[in-house]
Amino acid sequence: MALAMVTIGETRTITELRVKEDMKRHLQDLGFTVGEQVCVVGENPSGLILLIKGARIALNRGLATKISVA
Amino acid sequence: MSYTIALAGNPNCGKTTLFNELTGSKQHVGNWPGVTVDKKEGTYKKNKEINVLDLPGTYSLSPYSAEEIVARDYIVKEKPDAVINIVDGASIERNLYLTVQVLETGIPTVIAMNMMDEVERRGDSINCNKLSEILGVPVVPIIARSGKGLDELMKEAQKVATGKKAPGQLQIFGNDIEDAIEEVKGYLTEGTEEDRRWTAIKLLEGDEIILESLHPDTSKLIQEIVQKMDSKCDGDTEAAIADKRYQYIGQIVKKAVKKSHTGHMETRSDKLDKILTNRVLALPIFAVVMYILFAATFSESFLFIPDLPSPGVWLAGIVETAWGALTDLVEGGLTSLGASDWALGLVLSCMDGVGAVAGFLPLVLVLFLLLSFLEDSGYMARVAFVMDRIFRHFGLSGRSFIPLLMGFGCSVPALMASRTLENDKDRKITMMITPFMSCGAKLPIYMMFAVTLFADSNQTLIVFGIYMIGLLVAVLSAFLLGKLIKGDEVSNFIMELPSYRVPTLKSVLIHAWEKVKGFAIKAGTIIFGSTVLIWLLSNFNFSGMCDMEESFLASIGNVIKIIFIPLGFGDWRASVGVVTGWIAKENIVATFGQLFGGVSDEVVEAVSAGEEALPAITAVFSPAAAWAYMAFNLLCMPCFAAVGAIKREMGSWKWTLRAIGYQMATAYVVALVIYWLFGLFY
Repeated sequence: MALAMVTIGETRTITELRVKEDMKRHLQDLGFTVGEQVCVVGENPSGLILLIKGARIALNRGLATKISVA
Repeated sequence: MSYTIALAGNPNCGKTTLFNELTGSKQHVGNWPGVTVDKKEGTYKKNKEINVLDLPGTYSLSPYSAEEIVARDYIVKEKPDAVINIVDGASIERNLYLTVQVLETGIPTVIAMNMMDEVERRGDSINCNKLSEILGVPVVPIIARSGKGLDELMKEAQKVATGKKAPGQLQIFGNDIEDAIEEVKGYLTEGTEEDRRWTAIKLLEGDEIILESLHPDTSKLIQEIVQKMDSKCDGDTEAAIADKRYQYIGQIVKKAVKKSHTGHMETRSDKLDKILTNRVLALPIFAVVMYILFAATFSESFLFIPDLPSPGVWLAGIVETAWGALTDLVEGGLTSLGASDWALGLVLSCMDGVGAVAGFLPLVLVLFLLLSFLEDSGYMARVAFVMDRIFRHFGLSGRSFIPLLMGFGCSVPALMASRTLENDKDRKITMMITPFMSCGAKLPIYMMFAVTLFADSNQTLIVFGIYMIGLLVAVLSAFLLGKLIKGDEVSNFIMELPSYRVPTLKSVLIHAWEKVKGFAIKAGTIIFGSTVLIWLLSNFNFSGMCDMEESFLASIGNVIKIIFIPLGFGDWRASVGVVTGWIAKENIVATFGQLFGGVSDEVVEAVSAGEEALPAITAVFSPAAAWAYMAFNLLCMPCFAAVGAIKREMGSWKWTLRAIGYQMATAYVVALVIYWLFGLFY
């Protein structure tokens, strides 16, 4: 399922990054790699707040729909 | 012997705090050539031989942003004597991702393990000796905010810099990738062993910038190796390399870091975020914060207490009074020395011009102190996130909100605040439309017309209408410029939200001072030059000194008034007003006072008291022309101080001229439409 569908408080594992080369690189630099655990800690109309590798990352929903988790 | 030590680290890892602690006030902020990325340099306060350079905060040495390109070019090409890599102990895994890449460059490195207080508070512990043993470089625990551990850190940094000892190669990649690295390395001829290894790794990661720098034949051969590698790595070598790095980091973290509990424990920042980024509360809270910010800077009745000036207004008053006294003193001195009229006039008008800048300084200072506080506390990152949804509709990102809002106060600090925008296109558009937000200095112009020509109408509504025209034009411009300017679309929003912290007074002061100093110097020189020019033009003609009616400026006004005939104010005095408005927009009122047969001081006072000031202007301006004139001055080129700020932030004359050109064209078209539309009604 898409990361955008995960409810607050849940932790999931990243299975795929369906984004362009540049964004993929940036996501990897920020710790988004396949197999990594990501926890959704907050959301608002702009998007989601995630915890990944101990850091808090905000991203918009459009991007969150392109990250698949299981 | 002198050394250069570069600081590298993730954004928000405490790098700038460390830099401030190391250099104190001995720092210099410039620009990296060709990009608007701050270049901060300084000398170590305990040893003048050591230069410290603060590289921009980056997550990686891959070329994603201008910051990352600047940081990696510096490390790889300029080769500092040593790199201090600051690691935020609280998110150690993500931070070490940059570390392993810095170590790959072969530059002597020391790791500063920062936020050790935060780590302890969580009940975790990091074994720095163990880490040092594994990574083969010194690891020094520090707390940058309190300065703890910095002497030890600098001692180690000097040791590695003088020893010139390259860090050893880490066993990260495994056989397949290592073989490919060796194969690519075989085709590379330039640089040291470490350089070639680093270049080979980046090429396998699909780094276009490096690939393009190679000979076409070599790059073709290397692309073949990468393709061969891709098929071994599920089609994505870059991801495989990132994966290997994170796996390696996972292993060393397991060995060197003890966590008191598994999983995530709710921190103070999480609790604050539940309120400050809440889907319902976020916007109202932000509105209140912004109101306080504005009130503290610009309000004449602070906290709704009548006649209590805000700190900004109060300070500005003191500076203006002091400047006035100084001007009187100079005037008295020059008169008693028997200075000629023109010398006296020139000196006094220069002092007025510089005084206008000096009067702005306290406002800029207060505004930036407060903004630096919000920035350093971590709140600004949340604001950008919360506003993103709304600004996306206009083709801008949430980060544009701050500069645009500040534009209602004064364009100069607003334009400087646009520096925080990451996306280049976003920043350019924001700078071009910021002056459309009607600044405080334009208000007297509207008041002058409102009290004189529209005495019977609702004057508040007229002023409000002008503000709305500015907003509407800004929104439409954002759309239009978004189509015209090339650059990356503002497509996605992704940003780290740093933990909330109470900023240190020192860092807030340094932060604000940098901005104010830059403003004073750049704006000061532009204002000074333009004031002298306009003074000369308005007091001379070919036969020498004269009244303004016969001056060069009047002649110029008589020529350019032709342009304004279609807008309804084809009058030389109105044209001269536009020009003097470029020194400072409120100048228009004083100029009108002088040219329409009043005493300018009295007119200015009458306008601010809301009295009919200049009946003579009704002969020149029809109501429709007055609307057109107000709109034109709102939208046309901002004052020279703001143009100076645009030039400074754009970093190029080409873009500065484009911005001015766009503003002029917009002003003309909008004024024309308004004159025509209102002509139908009045």
